[in-house]
Amino acid sequence: MEPELACALPAVGAILTAVLRSRPRLALLVGSLFGATAVAAIVVAAPGMASDQLGVTLSFSAMTRTLLVAAAGALALVVGFAPSGADRVGLLTWGLAGFAGMTAIAAAPSLDLVILLTLGIALLHAALAGRRSLAARLRAPALAVALLGAGLLFARAEGPPMLSRFAAVGLAAGLVAVLGLLPYIHEFDAEEVTAASPIAWLAFLGPILGMVIVTRARELVPSAAAAFGAMLIGLGLLNVLWGSLASWLTEKGTSAWHYSFMADWGLVLCAFGIQVSDGQAAAVLILFSLLISRLPLYLWSRRSMRESIQTERPINLLAAAMLAGSAPFAGFAARVLLLRGATQLYWPLALVIGVGLLLWLPPSLRLGRSLGAPHGRQAVGVGIALALGAAIGLYPQPILSLAGL
Amino acid sequence: MTAVTAIAAVSAWAGAAALVLADGRRGLAVGVALVTFGFTALAWADGAWLEGSFLLAGGALCTVELIRRGPPDWGLMPPGSTPRLILAAVAGILALWFAASVTTGPDAPLRFACVAVLGLAAGRVLQGHAAASVLSASAALAIALASASALALSDPGFAPYLIGGMIAGGALFLPVAEPRGA
Repeated sequence: MEPELACALPAVGAILTAVLRSRPRLALLVGSLFGATAVAAIVVAAPGMASDQLGVTLSFSAMTRTLLVAAAGALALVVGFAPSGADRVGLLTWGLAGFAGMTAIAAAPSLDLVILLTLGIALLHAALAGRRSLAARLRAPALAVALLGAGLLFARAEGPPMLSRFAAVGLAAGLVAVLGLLPYIHEFDAEEVTAASPIAWLAFLGPILGMVIVTRARELVPSAAAAFGAMLIGLGLLNVLWGSLASWLTEKGTSAWHYSFMADWGLVLCAFGIQVSDGQAAAVLILFSLLISRLPLYLWSRRSMRESIQTERPINLLAAAMLAGSAPFAGFAARVLLLRGATQLYWPLALVIGVGLLLWLPPSLRLGRSLGAPHGRQAVGVGIALALGAAIGLYPQPILSLAGL
Repeated sequence: MTAVTAIAAVSAWAGAAALVLADGRRGLAVGVALVTFGFTALAWADGAWLEGSFLLAGGALCTVELIRRGPPDWGLMPPGSTPRLILAAVAGILALWFAASVTTGPDAPLRFACVAVLGLAAGRVLQGHAAASVLSASAALAIALASASALALSDPGFAPYLIGGMIAGGALFLPVAEPRGA
């Protein structure tokens, strides 16, 4: 019963929060209660234990369960420590709606359902009021859905062995298209609200979606697993290079954050492509830090970027260190695991990734400065994000154990 | 039964081609209706009566909504449509080659219809600027993806068809927000 509750509760919470919008405190309380109960249902659900209350077999894997908890933590941080004057009810409403979609994707029994749910989420997301037109917002996710569908068809068709490689191409291309990574970068408007922008795909929905698609793809085309992994590594390196350089050199601060998410995703793709346990552990840790560190810091830095405030206080340097993946933060542990996995697979790959990691430093200093001087509730939030990042970096084993690694 | 499935598959391709070639709401409605008819007939021919009904309900809702709202124009093949016409024809030929020559086994009509509709609907979404055309193509995508689940080795159950039908039926009801700032 837990997976059904985990899907339904945030959806109901999102609806109630929207209905109670005129009474913000009550809306926040009700939404938080539903969200917390959904997280409890996810934590209680045993990994792999199927539930069939609605005629559809639903279950969570250990990895998706871990990322769902991280996503819930990110949402709690973002809403709970939003700067004064921010639309917290709106953030919670759309956050819960997205969380409901993510739990449904995580619990879905087949890739068919995952793709259909992604299309449904893409349509709802495209209908949000934003600066881009509906067609512009739907373009990349709809292409991704078609590519994933084509990959699925190729994987299931009987025919020459080459078909499984075409399936791997379709699935890899669909994955990067839905996330908005190179070569399918989503159209980005720096002034658009975050809920309606491509950041929602990259930083909130993306981790679960990416994990589910990669896991299912490996099961679907076991004969082309090596080719699939190689494509992920190639696309990952491309995004590491492009994302970190563009994040450093681009003019607008918001675009720099957008590219930094792409660079992080580049590392995740490399980690997914390295099919040894260290690679998978690195992927989980990078996604975890993307959710609980980079996403909240991005949202908290938006106001100071609008007001063109840049500071170089110790908190900015600490944030920069966390974003750069330096010790003792979670990104450091993830990078060590990634390099160790790459060395096991093919040592020159570790060399290339190692050189790529050096590119993180200049953009991270820039992004850290863009946080401005957080104060009040926001400063507490930044402190919590830093403390969580450091705690996971110093002792990542509980997270890895929760993910079954 | 073979003739029925072949006609149904060609109908799905023709519907997707109409979606690519039309800009007006009536033209798009005909496209969605043909795609819905094709995949519903393929599902019913396979004995999936309930599943086919979900697709039919979703597609019919989308078609009615397309006819009901907006100016009643066809907008079929406006000037400069030659590339779209070529796309529709080439997608059909490639899908036929894939379904009948590259791949083997039963369900060739379903494979043909799925590949053709996925390709053409994706092309329409990439090329379209109007909300109606992009949403109609998304509805066709949902119907094709739901039907593709029948190609799985294990029984997909009713869920993909139900969700596909819901997406197709609900797509045109989405509020199309005007672009606005942060």
